[in-house]
Amino acid sequence: MARTKGYPEALEKKLADTRLFEDERHPEFTKTVEKISMTIPHMCYQCGTCTASCPSAPRSSYRIRKFVRRALLGLEDEALTDPDLWLCTTCYSCTDRCPRDIAPTDVIMAMRNLAFKRDIVPVNFLKTVQAIYTTGHGVPNNDVNRAARKKLGLPADPPTTHGFPKYVKGIQHILDYFELKKNADRIVKEREG
Amino acid sequence: MREYAFFLGCIAPNRYPGAESASYKTAEKLGIKLLDLEGASCCPAPGAFGSIDLNVWYAMAARNLVIAEQMKKDIALICNGCYKSIWEVNHKLKHHKELREGVNEVLKGIDMEFKGTIDVWHLAELFYDPEIVGCDKIRDSVKVPLTGTRIAVHYGCHLMKPKKERHFGSTEHPWWIEEMVAALGAEPVDYRNKMLCCGAGGGVRGYDLVHSIDITNEKMINLKEAKVDALTEVCPFCQLQFDRGQIEMEEKFGVRWGLPVLHYCELLGLAQGMTPQELALDLHAVSCEPFLQKVL
Repeated sequence: MARTKGYPEALEKKLADTRLFEDERHPEFTKTVEKISMTIPHMCYQCGTCTASCPSAPRSSYRIRKFVRRALLGLEDEALTDPDLWLCTTCYSCTDRCPRDIAPTDVIMAMRNLAFKRDIVPVNFLKTVQAIYTTGHGVPNNDVNRAARKKLGLPADPPTTHGFPKYVKGIQHILDYFELKKNADRIVKEREG
Repeated sequence: MREYAFFLGCIAPNRYPGAESASYKTAEKLGIKLLDLEGASCCPAPGAFGSIDLNVWYAMAARNLVIAEQMKKDIALICNGCYKSIWEVNHKLKHHKELREGVNEVLKGIDMEFKGTIDVWHLAELFYDPEIVGCDKIRDSVKVPLTGTRIAVHYGCHLMKPKKERHFGSTEHPWWIEEMVAALGAEPVDYRNKMLCCGAGGGVRGYDLVHSIDITNEKMINLKEAKVDALTEVCPFCQLQFDRGQIEMEEKFGVRWGLPVLHYCELLGLAQGMTPQELALDLHAVSCEPFLQKVL
């Protein structure tokens, strides 16, 4: 498909974002997002209530409305490679206010799941996985806290997987079942050497 | 005495043990006994795990639920993040056969099965429910009324939103936690854009700290405008974001807010006569002294 209409270069550049090319669309992306998110993005009429409710929108280029549009146009690469995808705080304000009863937050979560399948994921998410694999906790205990707990009359380690480490095996089974630890280790190694 | 399995999560026991300790003691005075949920783990964090693979999130949360099912006790918890994971996964697995079968396939390997026999509650909603505790009973348990203090409430997101999946009604301007604050003798204070997120969720705190605390900073500006003595919340992750976040805001933006942030259970503990030492308030990044001086 022709990617230029022969306008002057500066105008071509300016209009680059306004064109939609059929070969960039993946209809199955729309369906997959719909399946994972259990919401129906194509009900969206682009009113922008979601972006207006978004705590991340005023301080970044993240536009939730744009991601919903990308979902229903099937713009897989554009959606998944955009670093703004990771700026959603999952506060669900957009979901509560959407006049079309869509859950834009869940659309974002579905896209993040799909991005991870292509190894697109910020490292901090993977570090949480590694911490949970070892201790069962995303935010593990430390010595200062152990001392404080004892002073309060609590056991130094809470009665969770910290106090009963034999239960960590169950967590490792779940993470291994989905090969999550293996993938997390691999990606962290690729990024950080 | 009603009994619940107490799901601790990560941040309360591992960063704010005072909130954990206060939960046991305050609940006991109100007729709720919190039992250990032996071998529970991270809920797991809905932002971090939900973003990577929702199936892992379902399975990990289901494992925690099954431990409580084996105890034959409903779960009570004190964190909104945990509420999202544990309450929502419980709800989804009860209603989606396909999801439940998928999760049970994974749990089979560790001799567990999700049956859907229990319910999940936030301790705050149990405190508010007049059939279980209610504001009158809270008021009767107060020994040191917090008279003369102005306290704002941060509800957090995952307790009440998304509203169509929860049972709390409108999320635009709730007032029930304020009623519980008033029961302690304090004056609950409204402020601009109260339902704004703390900024920590969805993995954003780890991904882009400055972006994350900029949202918190907006909340601090609105709180300052309302001239409050303290902020209370029902989520240790929000607590961490507001409390440690103030140190980070000072580093990154050069603003010093000095606003004490207390979990509702800590506040209730104070009002019921627990000392600041029993609540480990010295572990808070922002000193609670100015507030304590007004109260004690």
